[in-house]
Amino acid sequence: MNAAERLDRTFAALAEPNRRAVIELLRRQPMSAGEIANRLGLSAPALSKHLKTLRASGLVEEARTDFDARVRVYSLRNGSLKALRRWLEDTERLWSMQLSAFKAYVESADANQKEADRS
Amino acid sequence: MTSSVLVAIRVPTSPARAFDVFTREIAAWWQPSDLFALTSEGDGALAFTGGEGGRLTATLPDGRCLEIGTILSWQPGMHLAFTWCPPAFDIDQRTEVHVRFEAVGNETRVTVEHHGWAEIPREHVSRHGFPDAATLARAADWWRSELQGLRRHLGG
Repeated sequence: MNAAERLDRTFAALAEPNRRAVIELLRRQPMSAGEIANRLGLSAPALSKHLKTLRASGLVEEARTDFDARVRVYSLRNGSLKALRRWLEDTERLWSMQLSAFKAYVESADANQKEADRS
Repeated sequence: MTSSVLVAIRVPTSPARAFDVFTREIAAWWQPSDLFALTSEGDGALAFTGGEGGRLTATLPDGRCLEIGTILSWQPGMHLAFTWCPPAFDIDQRTEVHVRFEAVGNETRVTVEHHGWAEIPREHVSRHGFPDAATLARAADWWRSELQGLRRHLGG
């Protein structure tokens, strides 16, 4: 999977509110499917579908616990939210830059206005 | 999970004037940037026209006028909201920018909130059930071009 394809899958995965809720939970700690379903009030089949999508997107990974091979624990994969963070950072930079430019312009236009008032 | 960005600044003028300068003189204060170019040919001259229901457009040096977004809210001296869909970005997969103007003493605090892609499909969910494959593909297209832009900028 190349970077663009990975991104496609990440955004497709995060476009659904229940899947974002799963990611929110897993950001705090790994959890079993049962726990996730309980917390979110989802049926097991519905959650299973979402987990499948999240795993395919590379956002979430599955592991079996040592003490009970039947229980699968889901966790967030390292670095999987990089693209979202990057959008947030870029958008923040864009508006920081534009608002600074806006302020500088207001100040200069103000100065011009004052000059005009004086003359 | 949030996908909103919030940036604020204080400017030494009244909210009414800050709103006026922000909207009417955007072509003068907006700083084009390679990193965030709005069209493949740069940002052109930006303009808000028509108030609520109107448009934010970019006029390129060759005279072509491209739509960047539509104006959702136009309350002079208080609030401005518009969709943000630069041409590389499909119109259905829009992000939204909300700008608030608030008096703070003799100054005005200008707050920009840019709500990202993740907020949008929720509307699709309420209207159409689930976001369809085409919607997701369009979101992905936007991201792909966004990243191509980044790569170009980084010289990759």
